[in-house]
Parts: sequence; structure tokens; C-alpha cells
Amino acid sequence: MATGDAAIHASEPHGIAAWLTTVDHKRIGILYLVTAVGFFVISGSLSMFMRAELAQPGLQLMDESTYNQLFTMHGTGMMFLFATPVVAGLANYFVPLHIGAPDVAFPRVNALTYWLYVLGGVVIFSGFLTASGAASFGWTAYAPLSESTYTPGAGADLWIIGLILVGTSSILGAVNLMATIFGMRAPGMTMFRLPIFVWNIIVTMTLIMFSFPVLTAALAALFIDRNFGGGFFDPAQGGDPILYQHLFWFFGHPEVYIVILPFFGVVTEIIPVFSRKPLFGYRGFVFATLLIGAYSFSVWAHHMFTTGAVDNPFFSATSMLIAVPTGVKFFNWISTMWRGKLTFPTPMLFCMGFLFMFLIGGITGVFLASPPIDYAVHDTYYVVGHMHSVLFGGSVFAIFAAFYYWIPKMSGRLMNERVGKLHFWLMLAGFNLTFLPMYQLGIDGMARRIADYPAVSGFEGLNALSTAGSGLLALSIVVFLVNFVISMKRGEQAGDDPWGGNTLEWATTSPPPPHNFRRLPPIRSERPVFDERHGDQLDG
Amino acid sequence: MLSACAPQAVTEQGREVNALYTTFFWVAAGIFAITAGLIGWSIVRYRAKPGDNELPKQFHQNLKLEVVWFAIPQIIVIGLFVLSAFTLSEVNERKSEPAATVRVTGYQWGWRFEYEGTDVEVVGTPQDPAEVMVPTGDVAFILTSVDVVHSFYVPKFLFKRDAVPGRDTRVDVTINEEGTYAGVCAEFCGLLHDRMTFSIEAVERDEFDRWLSQQDAAGEGSTT
Repeated sequence: MATGDAAIHASEPHGIAAWLTTVDHKRIGILYLVTAVGFFVISGSLSMFMRAELAQPGLQLMDESTYNQLFTMHGTGMMFLFATPVVAGLANYFVPLHIGAPDVAFPRVNALTYWLYVLGGVVIFSGFLTASGAASFGWTAYAPLSESTYTPGAGADLWIIGLILVGTSSILGAVNLMATIFGMRAPGMTMFRLPIFVWNIIVTMTLIMFSFPVLTAALAALFIDRNFGGGFFDPAQGGDPILYQHLFWFFGHPEVYIVILPFFGVVTEIIPVFSRKPLFGYRGFVFATLLIGAYSFSVWAHHMFTTGAVDNPFFSATSMLIAVPTGVKFFNWISTMWRGKLTFPTPMLFCMGFLFMFLIGGITGVFLASPPIDYAVHDTYYVVGHMHSVLFGGSVFAIFAAFYYWIPKMSGRLMNERVGKLHFWLMLAGFNLTFLPMYQLGIDGMARRIADYPAVSGFEGLNALSTAGSGLLALSIVVFLVNFVISMKRGEQAGDDPWGGNTLEWATTSPPPPHNFRRLPPIRSERPVFDERHGDQLDG
Repeated sequence: MLSACAPQAVTEQGREVNALYTTFFWVAAGIFAITAGLIGWSIVRYRAKPGDNELPKQFHQNLKLEVVWFAIPQIIVIGLFVLSAFTLSEVNERKSEPAATVRVTGYQWGWRFEYEGTDVEVVGTPQDPAEVMVPTGDVAFILTSVDVVHSFYVPKFLFKRDAVPGRDTRVDVTINEEGTYAGVCAEFCGLLHDRMTFSIEAVERDEFDRWLSQQDAAGEGSTT
């Protein structure tokens, strides 16, 4: 490091103050990730109470009011305070590294987005401290249930305010990352040499910029309804409850892609590294990602088939079509592994878990795109199973792949492999035990969002199984946290490039110095580090 | 297999849905088997041998192959869409002369059933859910709500439709089998959503008529 740099850094705050005042993209990335995992643990704990309550018929642990708060805050926490911010965290840390940039375009705005997110999260969860409890209308907050007539109390208003803060944070973050990617790429880093992770972030941030403002508008209207008699969604005042659903899902379906596309990016970075081959069909993959982004704004009303108020055939057609660009990615991943030389350290194992589990989630999604089938299983546990196959089997498995793959870069230490593999197998078993029974429960007619079910329903056995599975899932997360704490103290030194990586983050130290790079390898493909390592063996 | 685990529907429309589901299931099972098989094969077959440090062949793309694997799923989903669209029009078909027309009103947290052309009204509560009769054959339900959005769901019909405040939504079913069928609210509607149940007993036309006239004689606003 140059002496000028050292002088600058000497005057900077140290310790906690350094973290609280940082505008460094890597530190903000870590703050995002740690906070998001915190919300994951909190929101996951809420679901453990729910599963405990559902283990057998009858209300044993809590009343309906508590249960309704739990599933509302579980969904809200997972979607808005875990899955979306994890994207922000990974993108913050790795997009500048991937494109060979020293930081993001607007470091101070970056700090603002993080603190807005923390503030929003605290505001949302502070509902638990109010007299009437936290919001209890589901993470979707359908009107008129979410109107003050039916859900009075400050918890609901705090939920709205908090979400608007979090949404604002996401929009600002998206603008920042887009400016970074389009304005700060290193020489040679053309668009078609960008790592696929960065391409997925481009599409994701575009979705955020177009969808979150719509959510903010819906929430603002709801807030006005609740507090000033706006009547936007009240039929008695000429408003329309269906309008709320349209606004919510116009945001809500792109949101699903916001929390899955970046993780397509993650597994698409990891699989080539451990197959020792390039991604098969890079341009086709980028095209498919762009297509998913475009389609994702045309499918929202498949969440509303059973309202009888939307054009079912149109939204059925678009919802089935979007399965195609998603599905073909499987062929990209498979042919990347095809005739490769595969190794299976923990990050790759989690990618394999992702492939199988997301496959189930993707295929069951096509069932739900058929309106007649949706009439049968909509709002049942079938949908709960489907969404968790996508968001847990898909996103969360990929998130752990990302953690095991990149924590060595962020910390300089490797995670323990043996414990990592234990984590993987526990999570795979726990996931399937918890969520596969839900498909059958839904087909058998168990509605979702119910605190209790009758003893004669025939739902008892599968619910008990699911609750047992959720215990395994929780255990697997504990194993991860223990692994993390111990590995950060005593883990092996990672070195610059423990995996034989492809992308630029592996061309600098672990962790990277302030402003990331002392030198960059020449960038002539989407695998500059691979090219430099194997240049002599490549036949052009 | 899962398809066998789908409940046997007791309505004409439900049987259509069941048949469609079964078709989807086998197509999906095929796609799952092929895709999962290819992934599994790659994992087993292309595992690196210890000590083998040579790079595998670095191939990047194959446009023809990519066009083919884009086209095939596209054709499959178009086929599924067409099948599903036929079933959809049958399921949503309105019957010209239903044997009974029942106005169903959802409220927090129960259901009110009113029989058109009579004064019969059956009102349920969370403690005492509504139990009503309908004739087998074509029955029309006109759904609405007086407060929040509810959803009229009878699992054995393989069917649900939302009851939205400010809107009347008519749905027709053709009940093939006599029996008592449990119903629930499927759209989360607040505190006692889980207790917002009802049951429908489908009986022969004659028996239904007798029940209806008894209810009528018992006077307005009678509950079960």
C-alpha cells in the first residue's frame, strides 16, 4: 500500500466506529450479509413456533392472534429483510470485485441504503412491542383485511412504514449498482465478458427499479386508507380490493425473480469452477435471463386466478412461457458439468442441492400456472410447498453455496469442510421432510395460514412429519453458525484463490485491500483469472 | 405416486381437474426424471479422478443444441396451456338451469347461505358452522362478502373461488355423488380464519326439496 493511502487510513476511525461510519463497499456488503442472516435466524425461529403449533391438532402453544402475527412476520422477514438484502450484500461485495472496480459508484448512498434497511427492519419488527402486537394480515397484506377497520393497531402501520423504508433502500441500492456496472468496468471488461453473476444482478436491479415503486405506491395508498380515510381499497367508498392485489402482485411476482435470479448467478459462477470448464452457452444464458426479466412483469395475476376478476387464459399463458427460459438454464448447468472434471467441496454440494430442489419448485410452478389446477390447490399447503421449494430449495441452498464459496475471500479463512458437509446433508434431509409433505397436505385440502386444523382432517401425520423436518432444518442452521464462528477463529488460511476460481475476485488478496486491486490480469473472456492461470494450455 | 394421491372429486368439473392434474403430473414426472437423471449422471460419471490435473476439453457453446433445448420446452408448455385452456372453459362453464341457486356470503368468520326463490337462510358461526344441503346435479353458487376477502373452498370439488366484498361471483358445479363435503375459507381473513368452516350435504332432488320446505316452514333466519 502506498504511503499516501496509509496516511489517509490512519486518520480513519477504528473498531466499531469504523463499521458504523464505513462507506467501503466490502464492509457494507458484510454488514448487509450479517444483518440479513440475523433476520433469517429471527424469521426462521418464528416459523419453528408455527411448526410446533401445527405438529398436532388443537391450539397448544399460542392463540390465533399470535399465530397470525408469526406467519405474517415470518414471510415479511424472509422476503424483505433476508432474501432481498442478501442480494444487496453479495452484490455490494462482489460486483465491484467482479468488474475490476475500486468501489461502487456512490459509496455514501451505499451506506444510506444499508442504514435505511436496518431502520426499516427495526420499525417492522417493533410492532411486536405495541399493545396490539405486530402486523397480522400476512406478508401480502390484502385489503380490506389490512384496512384499519379490520386490523386496527400501530403494528400494522409500523409494518407499512418499515416496508416503505426498506423499499426505498432497495431502489437506491439498485440505482447505485447499475451505475457501478455501467460506469466502472475495468478496461477490457465488455458486457459479454461480465461474470454471469453480474448479468443476473443487472436484471435483478432492473426489476427492483420497476417493481418496488409500485409496492411503495400500494403501501402509501394503504397507509392513507388506514389513517385518513382514503378509500382506495374500500368498496363502500368506490375503492376496489382487487386493485390492491394487482398492485401488490405487480411488485410481488418480479420480487420472486429478484430473490432467485441473483442465485442463478451464484450457482452459475460456482458450477464452472468445480467442473473446470467454462459455462456452456454464456450468451444463451444471458438471453434467457433477460427474457425472464421481461416476462416477469406479465405474469403477476396468476396469484389472482381464483378472484374471478382477471383474465385467466392470458396470465396462464405468460406464466407457462416463463418456465421455458428458467428451464433451459438447467441444460446450461448440466452441459457445463458434462465431460468436466467435477469436484464436490461444500459450495458445489450446495449447488447440486439447489439443482434438485429448485427443479421440484420450478416444475410445480407449471402446475400452478394452469388455472383449473390452481383452483384446486391455490391458498393451500401445496403453494406453501411450492414457494419454499423455490425460495428455500432454490435461493437458500444457493445462498449457502455463496457463503461457503466466498466467505474465504471475505475473511481470509476457509470454512471447515467436514462440518460444512454435515450442514449440507442435514439441511437437505430437513428440507425435504419439512416441505414435501406440504404438497400432499395441499392436495388433500389443507388451507394455508391456519393456526389449527380439525383432529378428523387426516392432516395429522404429515404435519407431524413436517414439524420433525423443521427441527432438522433448524439444527442444520446451528451447525452452520457454529462452523462459521469456529472457522473464523481457527480456520485454515484461504490464500488468494483457494478454489481455482475464474473471476477477478480471485486475483486479489483474501480479504481484498481497500480499493480492491493492486494489479488486474488482462481481461479477454469472462474467466480472466482462469485465462491467466491456464493461458499456455488453451488452444485459442 | 402423487397423482394417485389426488382426492377423487365428486363433481363433474372436479373430475376434469383431476384428469388435467394427472396429465400434468406424468409430463412433469417425465421432465423431472430426465433432468434429474442428467444431473445425477453428470455427478457420478464426470467426478474428477484423484490426481488428474489435466484440464477437461473447454467447449463453450453449441447454437443448434441451444435452439433445440429452447424449442422443446416451449412446445411442451404450449401443449399444456392448450389442454389447460380446454379444461378451464369446462370448469367455468355456466349452467343454464341449475337445480338450485345458492347465494353464499362470507363474513368474519362464518358463511351465510340463502336459497334463491325461498326465504331459507342458514347462518354459520365459528362455534357452530353452517351445515346446508344441495341437490345433486347442477348447482350455482353466487359468492360475495360483507367485509374482507374470503374464499369458498370445498376440497372434494377440487375448486375454490374468492368471495370479494362489492362483487358477486357466480360459480356452477355439477355434483355427481351424494355425500357430506367439508368446506373452509381458503383466503386468510383475520383472527378466526381457521374456524371459518361449513359443510355441504349433497342429496337426491326429492330429499333436498323436503329439507328446503322444512327450512322454509321453520321461518326466516333459521340456523342449523
